[in-house]
Amino acid sequence: MPTLPRILTYQGVPIWRNVLAIQWTLQIASGVLVVVLISWFLVNISNAIQDRDIPYGFSFLSREYQTPIGHHFLDYKSSDTFLYAFIVAATNTIFVSIMGVILATVLGIVVGISRMSGNWIVATLALVYIEFFRNVPLLVHLFFWFYIVLALPPVREGHSISQWIYINNAGLSIPWLSPSGVEVVAIWISMAVVAVAVGWAVHGWMAHRERDTGKSSYPLAAGCAVAVVFGAVAWVALSMAGDGAPFVVTQPEPHGTFGRISGGFTVPGGMFALLIGLVTYTAAFIAEIVRAGVQSVGRGQTEASRAVGLSAMGTLRNITFPQALRVIVPPLISQYLNLTKNSSLAGAIGYSDLTNVAKTMTQTAPAVSIFILIMAAYLGMSLAFSLVGNLYNRHIRFTGS
Amino acid sequence: MAGWIRFNLFSSWYNSVLTIILSISIALALWFGLSWIILQADWSAIYTLGGRFIIGQYNVEAACPGQNCFWRPQASLLLITVLLGMGWRVAGGGITKRIAIIVAGVASAFAFLPYGLNEMGWDVRLLLLANVPALAAGWSLARFTQLGTTFWVFVFTMAAFVLTVVLLRGIPGVPFLQPVLVIYWGGMMLNLLLAVVGIGLSFPIGIALALGRRSHLQVVKLLCIVFIETFRGVPLITLLFMSQVLVPLAFPENFPLNSLFRAAIVITLFSSAYMAENIRGGLQSLHPGQAEAAQALGLPSWQTMLFISLPQAIRNVIPPIVGQFISLFKDTSLVYIIGMLDVVEIGRAFIQGNPEYLANAKELFIFLAVLFWIFTFTMSTVSRRIEHHLSIGKR
Repeated sequence: MPTLPRILTYQGVPIWRNVLAIQWTLQIASGVLVVVLISWFLVNISNAIQDRDIPYGFSFLSREYQTPIGHHFLDYKSSDTFLYAFIVAATNTIFVSIMGVILATVLGIVVGISRMSGNWIVATLALVYIEFFRNVPLLVHLFFWFYIVLALPPVREGHSISQWIYINNAGLSIPWLSPSGVEVVAIWISMAVVAVAVGWAVHGWMAHRERDTGKSSYPLAAGCAVAVVFGAVAWVALSMAGDGAPFVVTQPEPHGTFGRISGGFTVPGGMFALLIGLVTYTAAFIAEIVRAGVQSVGRGQTEASRAVGLSAMGTLRNITFPQALRVIVPPLISQYLNLTKNSSLAGAIGYSDLTNVAKTMTQTAPAVSIFILIMAAYLGMSLAFSLVGNLYNRHIRFTGS
Repeated sequence: MAGWIRFNLFSSWYNSVLTIILSISIALALWFGLSWIILQADWSAIYTLGGRFIIGQYNVEAACPGQNCFWRPQASLLLITVLLGMGWRVAGGGITKRIAIIVAGVASAFAFLPYGLNEMGWDVRLLLLANVPALAAGWSLARFTQLGTTFWVFVFTMAAFVLTVVLLRGIPGVPFLQPVLVIYWGGMMLNLLLAVVGIGLSFPIGIALALGRRSHLQVVKLLCIVFIETFRGVPLITLLFMSQVLVPLAFPENFPLNSLFRAAIVITLFSSAYMAENIRGGLQSLHPGQAEAAQALGLPSWQTMLFISLPQAIRNVIPPIVGQFISLFKDTSLVYIIGMLDVVEIGRAFIQGNPEYLANAKELFIFLAVLFWIFTFTMSTVSRRIEHHLSIGKR
């Protein structure tokens, strides 16, 4: 065997057989490859920007957007800036996501528990629901609900339930609390916060006493009662003091020739269809997660709990559910993320969510910058959800040994 | 039977009440539902669209000037039937046989649809009927020649895929195979094509990403993490839209990238990020003793990975992997955002263009839901069979 030059060996091993050398070569090669690829893309993009006079940069953000947004929770005029319009659209997405998450969780838990019911009809109905809703594209769900809403009669001929609830092709209008004055609301909210804190303290103290003495009291009920009584007293006191109740119920009322509905709270048709579609679709996934979680708790746990005398409800609440949560929470968080991302399908049914507004913006503003913004917004929302979820997950997981 | 009824329906007083109330509601729902489906619902939109659901605008005059291109998707279907016939013989019956018979049966049944001959000609009907002999041909090919092995089925699958794409795309200069622009591809054909490409490619890419994320090489690991988390954090619809607006800028001007190709790449990459996380979960569920034992026996690390870790890891995560395939198939309906007429968009565009059908949109979307459900349900059934089949060794 011919001897190698010294420079090509390391401790007697040729360097192309040295593990460290191979690993580092691989890493550097892959790193360089990615950097070259990305810079090639960037060069191409910048060439295209120069050659075809494509606008770029972020200066457009302070320009006026000049385009209406279909539905908005914050006040919005066409003369507002791009940045503000972007925030308005993001608020829509966040609102839909939060409402969707709450409703889908409730429905998902109901369906998931029904799936495990001892009653064959209930269990089968839940199975049919899950299998059907999970296996059809969300887009088909959304179009289905959207065209049902579109086929509803116009506002003037719409359905109403005794002047309180209106359903028509503009959406669903329900009575809602509206604040009667800034000051009085601020005072009441700060009092309500105090009330919740006092209720929390009462609950903590009573739970502690229950643990120490072993005497049964109802800490949760007592805590809630204290908080509610405090809040109610504050409400009555404020109403007596002068300005009237902090919030008053307003009823939806049709006005004018086209019967625009004012007062109350109107869920616009697009959002109505979007929420129904998202909630029924995601609930099917959540139901399966809940079922898997509850079934992951050993049967011995339930039997032992019944043997020491806990009721069926008490077993579910104190034994099964806390243990099931550890299995349920991580996939549940990813379903919440999916729901948030799926809300971007709103554009298909004409609801002005973040993606839809951003898509319209690309007609008058640089597409590249808008994509950077929109990706940052969704990544930010995902990270926020993951962060909250992971904190909660840390709170409930096994601690100690 | 009586015991089953008592145990499952009338075990306690509230269960009995629930059972009675639900039975009455279900009976009422079935009564009104069926009477709606049969008497009131107007299914004429579906009849009018007909073949559009399957091939989109593939054979419109603008796509295929001067000739009828309908035979090309049909020839692709025949190729698939031949493959299914081979698969039936090689797999020795079971679910492959059932799927083969259903596909060939339904295709040939379509030959008898009640359309006029000017709407659906003899050629179309004969080619549909040819699916039955094609199935038999595939079966006999596997039975009476040396080609009846898994290897050859795999080779033929690849060949059939390439042939399908060539048939649909066409070859310039060949008289019968005029090129058809991809913007005219559509219908269920487009959904299935995107799903097949996505499934076939996202699986190996996902494995590579999962291995990269677990690698000791820090640079590779970092790149994989950034890739996976970016693609998982952004909605697919945004990525598709980006593929339309931004990706063409990132390539030189005459780079051969059409919109369908870009969409397929984006869907594949998106899906492989999720696939990577599933496979990583499977790898994490393995006991380290498996890999250690393999190394103790002297297997190099790549063989340990390929023959010991990965097969077990993948077997452990078949349900989430198939779940990801199903969701990829459902996600193919999102290509509407780049202006492609997939089966859902065909329906929506039809309603949009013909407002007189607005009141019957729900029938159309119920039909589409059932259509998708048939495919996804088949996929999950196959998954359960595979899982069952593989767990035989576990007992």
